[in-house]
Amino acid sequence: MIDVQSLVKWYGPTRAVDNISFNIPAGQIVGFLGPNGAGKSTTLRMLTGYIPPTFGTASIAGHDVVNESEQARAKIGYLPESTPLYTEMRVEEYLHYRGRLLNMPRNLRNSRIDTVCDRCGLAANRRRLIGQLSKGNRQRVGLAQALMHEPPVLILDEPTAGLDPNQITEVRKLIGELRGKHTIILSTHILPEVERTADRVLIIAGGRIVAQGTPEELRKSVATGARVLVELWADAAEVTTSFKNIEAVRDVETSSHEGWCRVVVTPRGNRDVREAIARLCATRGWAVREMRYETATLEQFFIQITATQSQSASPAA
Amino acid sequence: MSQTLTIARRELASLFYSPIAYIVIALFALGTTMIFFSSFAPDAPATMRPTFEAVVWFMIFLVPAVSMRLLSEEYRAGTIEPLMTSPIDEKKIVLGKWLGALAFFAALLLPLIVLIGVLQYNSSPDYGPILTGLAGLLLVGGLYLAIGTFASATTQNQIIAFLLAIFIICLFTIALYFLPRSNLAESYPGLKQAMFYLNVNMQFEAFNKGLIDTSNFVYFASGIAFFLFLAVLVLQSRRWR
Repeated sequence: MIDVQSLVKWYGPTRAVDNISFNIPAGQIVGFLGPNGAGKSTTLRMLTGYIPPTFGTASIAGHDVVNESEQARAKIGYLPESTPLYTEMRVEEYLHYRGRLLNMPRNLRNSRIDTVCDRCGLAANRRRLIGQLSKGNRQRVGLAQALMHEPPVLILDEPTAGLDPNQITEVRKLIGELRGKHTIILSTHILPEVERTADRVLIIAGGRIVAQGTPEELRKSVATGARVLVELWADAAEVTTSFKNIEAVRDVETSSHEGWCRVVVTPRGNRDVREAIARLCATRGWAVREMRYETATLEQFFIQITATQSQSASPAA
Repeated sequence: MSQTLTIARRELASLFYSPIAYIVIALFALGTTMIFFSSFAPDAPATMRPTFEAVVWFMIFLVPAVSMRLLSEEYRAGTIEPLMTSPIDEKKIVLGKWLGALAFFAALLLPLIVLIGVLQYNSSPDYGPILTGLAGLLLVGGLYLAIGTFASATTQNQIIAFLLAIFIICLFTIALYFLPRSNLAESYPGLKQAMFYLNVNMQFEAFNKGLIDTSNFVYFASGIAFFLFLAVLVLQSRRWR
């Protein structure tokens, strides 16, 4: 449904997007994850035809976004970052305006406005001025507007930015309800958002895709980073040699704190070495005051891989 | 076409939401009424000519105040993004914006109807030149709005759009008033004639007298088309950057 081939965007001397390719089959929800300025919005803006790519091609439902821009745009419902809306219009009035722009006949417009207002929780605010709405409700108008013509592709740029936790949950639920009906790309810099809703995650940093896969796959690749922390009363050198004798241990690091020895044990593969360590400490008679099993979260993985990229990342979001 | 009218309708409505609109309406009504009554005397001819002539000079400042926000405001508020990513041609966006502003401008001329009524009440005016004069005002307004639309397409700053529009309009009015009367123009009669033709006020004069031919319409139609085309180019160029 969405096909992107080696997309590149230069803003003057800075390369905001650097050779991004991906393919999204119909019906999939894909999360675009990356720190601010990673090139998420730039990529989405190229997909929606707002800005042209410097190099590379992209197509929406078979229509090239540059050469068949209007046909491609007709297939897209787009929620731009920061949800720009005409503040002097009423919600219903604005949705009618969008419907007319999309060449929807009046009957269809009326029924679609009823549907999207219900779905986006706007039923009570239909007659209100957009300028008087809260940030959360404006975001709903932005979503309703994107859904007006039941587009096959939904592109949502940071749909939950600036919302409170309740509203974030609601938006996430709404996106979940749209699953299967639309092909959705949503961008965010908040991890749990894509972890729950997305079928696939593309992590982008410095204008490049640095990792991708299902949330499950990404979590697995993180799990290899598990390690055990032990704090015990013993001589550091002795601890190092004896811990290294445990078969499943790959590496041991020690540091001293007021006589207590703090040990970081990295296991081989993804094996659990806690039992072996406990047994060893018991036979040696070392007093253990803490033992902790640490698995890296997806969050840490995200920070880890994007941090290395962020030095070279350009400022354009 | 319906997309164009949708844009025009929204533009017209939003013009009435902004306080600028009411300031412009008040200024215009006040100015025209003052000028009308300054030449309103028992022995004066029953005509709108001096009023219309002054209105054309007024419009140098008033029309850019209407057009300055057309696209600048969309850039500033970011609403240009949902607009440009809708399946709609830039030509329709520009044409719609211009039409909306033109409808507002037409509403602006309504106080003149009242003044014509005053004239009718006191004497029997000749309606030929009055009607062509009104048509001329609409055409001048259309040209200035096209210039203003272009100016507004170039910047997100309304003040710059306002001043740029005034500058271009001044080229076609004040500059083309003095240039053909200069010594230099005397030695190039062809150039002099061309400059007189391009002068907006000279063109309007024909409408005000009620002596119009096709060349006057060609002038305004091509001027409007030219500046709207430039505005479309500027808007399209955003997609190339």
